[in-house]
Amino acid sequence: MKTFLQFILFMVIAVVVILMAIVLGELGAWYFAWLVGTGMIVLITAAGGALLDAQDEHAAHEAGIGSVDA
Amino acid sequence: MDTYALLQITWWLLLGVLLIGLAVMVGMDMGVGTILRYVGRTDLERRVALNIIGPHWEGNQVWFVLGGGAVFAAFPLIYATAFSGFYVVMMLLLWSMIMRPLGFEYRSKLPSEAWRNTWDWALLVSGLVPMVVFGAAFGNLFHGAPFHFSWNLTSTYTGSFLGLLNPFAILCGLLSAALSVFMGAVTVMNGAEGVIHARARTLARVSSVLAIVLFAIGGFWVRGMQGFVLTSSPAAGIAQTPLQQNVSLVDGAWFANFQAHPVLWLVPALGFAGMLLGLLAAGARRSHLAWWLGAVAWLGVIGTAGTALFPFLLPSSSMPAQSLTVWNSSSSQLTLTWMVGFAAVFVPLVVWYTSWAFYVMRGKVKAEHVSADEHAY
Amino acid sequence: MHDINVVDLSRLQFALTALYHFLFVPLTLGLSFLLAAMETVYVTTGKPIYREITQFWSKLFLINFALGVATGLTMEFEFGTNWSFYSSFVGDIFGAPLAIEGLMAFFLEATFIGLMVFGWKRLKRGQHLAVTYMVAFGSNLSALWILIANSFMQTPTGASFNPVTMRMELSSLTELIFNHDAQAKFVHTSIAGYVTGAIFVAGVSAWYLLKRRHVELARRSFRMAVLFGVLATAGVITLGDALGFIGGQAQPTKLAAMEGLWKSEPAPMPFNLVAFPSQKDQVNRGQLQVPYALSLLVTHSMDGTVPGVDRLELDAIARIRNGIPAVAALQSLSAAPGDAAALATFHAHEKDLGYGFLVQRYAADVTQATDAQIATAARETIPQVAPIFWSFRVMVLMGLLMLAYFVLAVIYSMRNNIEHQRWFLKIAVWMIPVPFLACEMGWLVAELGRQPWTVYGMLPTWMSASTHGVGYMIFSLVGFVGLYTAFIIAEMYLMVRAIRIGPDASHAGEGAGPITDTSQAARLAGYAQEA
Repeated sequence: MKTFLQFILFMVIAVVVILMAIVLGELGAWYFAWLVGTGMIVLITAAGGALLDAQDEHAAHEAGIGSVDA
Repeated sequence: MDTYALLQITWWLLLGVLLIGLAVMVGMDMGVGTILRYVGRTDLERRVALNIIGPHWEGNQVWFVLGGGAVFAAFPLIYATAFSGFYVVMMLLLWSMIMRPLGFEYRSKLPSEAWRNTWDWALLVSGLVPMVVFGAAFGNLFHGAPFHFSWNLTSTYTGSFLGLLNPFAILCGLLSAALSVFMGAVTVMNGAEGVIHARARTLARVSSVLAIVLFAIGGFWVRGMQGFVLTSSPAAGIAQTPLQQNVSLVDGAWFANFQAHPVLWLVPALGFAGMLLGLLAAGARRSHLAWWLGAVAWLGVIGTAGTALFPFLLPSSSMPAQSLTVWNSSSSQLTLTWMVGFAAVFVPLVVWYTSWAFYVMRGKVKAEHVSADEHAY
Repeated sequence: MHDINVVDLSRLQFALTALYHFLFVPLTLGLSFLLAAMETVYVTTGKPIYREITQFWSKLFLINFALGVATGLTMEFEFGTNWSFYSSFVGDIFGAPLAIEGLMAFFLEATFIGLMVFGWKRLKRGQHLAVTYMVAFGSNLSALWILIANSFMQTPTGASFNPVTMRMELSSLTELIFNHDAQAKFVHTSIAGYVTGAIFVAGVSAWYLLKRRHVELARRSFRMAVLFGVLATAGVITLGDALGFIGGQAQPTKLAAMEGLWKSEPAPMPFNLVAFPSQKDQVNRGQLQVPYALSLLVTHSMDGTVPGVDRLELDAIARIRNGIPAVAALQSLSAAPGDAAALATFHAHEKDLGYGFLVQRYAADVTQATDAQIATAARETIPQVAPIFWSFRVMVLMGLLMLAYFVLAVIYSMRNNIEHQRWFLKIAVWMIPVPFLACEMGWLVAELGRQPWTVYGMLPTWMSASTHGVGYMIFSLVGFVGLYTAFIIAEMYLMVRAIRIGPDASHAGEGAGPITDTSQAARLAGYAQEA
């Protein structure tokens, strides 16, 4: 039941968002672009930070293997 | 009554709500700034007082911004005439106000005693001056301001800066400052303990007594004053300019609305009740209750002024026929309609999340937390 | 009547206070979303260093924000205090977005900033993150409404003149909000703020990397900032082009000034890369041209043309002649509101009312205006070309410079060896002032290019000012210069000091010495335990 209610809730939100996007895309394409673009920029930025940690861990791992070999 | 007139009255009421919001929310922060040097004798005590409003002053200040914006949007002719006419006062108000954000944000960033002392004085000035100006502006509405319009509604102001500092305006300024100090003091009582709490309590009691006395004197003063009366004008709700009416001055006319509708006496009664019960509540250390009673007092005071002046918003003393009223200075029907819509959606939303912010930050501010928290003011 | 000195002093004061305010706004717009991105990493990965990163940058954010808020108050006052006629003439339209800005955006931003600062211990992680996003959205929504208002001044849509109330009145709020100029200008300005935030964070991080302090914080901040910046810079340039395209059609005199275009030319028009425009003789003294480029840039086609100053002046003369009866009819209507003949005349000439007002500066009774006065007024419709031409070029050049910088920065940062590119780190520090300068230049192009109008084609600047004496203006100018100078000194001092102290909380209250890498390592060890 809980899953079903959640499903309904999120479906309603999705429909509302799609309707708003259609209206905004029609009336104000640049505003719509800002909304989507900002979301994208923020997420890519966040991913870049997370990637740096992954790179560090990978490098530390490599270095660890290297030192064992030596 | 037709739609346009109804919208104009709605915006007159909404303007009242916003001005009361401004007086309550900004007034309390300014009150804290005014009494900061008294309730806090040491740097740490002052920081406690500052941090009680620390998380909220920024949001509260928006009531001021919104007040200005709402006058601009709903009564553009008032905004244009009053802001330009009262130029020097507006500059003093502005300069004292813009010191406040810096006072909060920058004061405790440096350990230097001189630095902090300077900002404490800046906070005092930026608390006291705007509240006196706020009250004095209301006081001047009763006398009217010396301005007139050209054929295309270019306004010209013919008065001086000193003319605005007449005795009645000063009385209103002091009333406004007293109420602001009361609100500031009970706010400090809400968040502080011990000696700070005790000093704030003293101030709350003194300022509420002062407010009662000043409000009463003001009432008698207005009774003897000449008020403005519209003798002929296009009907309410018809698009018009201030060039199309006749106005006369009549002794005691500012009481006409109360005499015509005795139920309106409840408004000043509410003011007195708020102050009197606020005094008692502060004395009984019920500071949260006293805060709400202080808000009621503001409602009564601003409501009284608005009721007395209605339908005038800014009378002209040099050319009374060109006085600005609710009917001749408002925006168009379409703008007022949209703005009612936006206010209906966003004012409740603002009240809701502001309340949540106060709820999150509830409780007492302790000295040890202030000195330990690197984010504290 | 208006004293022209007062009009000029009012313009000077508005320009100074707006340019000053606009030093702080872009950083707020961009840094707020960067903070949101940083905190997003903290909440999703749970790594405490990202909390430290967020808290450190939010400290700098607040120092900047305070002055942005303070100087923003001035802007709201000045329309009424110094541009009284403007305020009553278009307040019905212009006031609404300002009020909505307060109601919808500024409240959001200001209420949640208190929680963002003080709420770290009282809110759950997710809640605090939501609060940070609210601050970012609030500050950018603020910019949205302000720029909607500004775009009405540039390309007035959604309004018409009402002869009964003697002012412009709103005819469509949706047209006002979805004004093409407003859309492009908002996105351009907001994203220019992102670029500013990115350069600031990258520059300060580079300084730490050069000093080998707070290396872990700086590497991560740098990486995030340059990714943020490269995407944003690409966006700014795209939107700059869109804005030029939209604005070029709506404001031909601004476009002619931006491009130093004195004579109308057949397509394809060359682009003046470098030129030294002379306003008096209406020629460029020495110019370096790129063939075909102007047609491509401003019309997006090879056979498009835009009018030069010569044709625009002729147009203006015709419009002034057509506007004169409108002003005269309006004057009759003011005296006798029921005059049907005057109303009919007014409606016949209504669209050029503003041009009629232009000549009223030289002939109080417009019906008596001489040909010479009309020609003077027409010449006045061309804004000052040289400063606009050069501000525009400096802005564009800086935009391209920042794009090149960010592309290289992303390459180094993704290779994860930015610490070793010391020459590049030095450049990154020196890049900090560039976006601020570019933003100011953008403001100058937009607002100088709008002259001689406050509302383009509708209301001349000379009529818009308040009827003050020169004394008032000197009083307020002296006050602003004094206060603002003191403020910027305090702000810069605190900002530099906070950067020098760095993210080390325990040293916040005192003059901190340099923090060694040992303490850095110790703290990182602490994070590991906490995590």
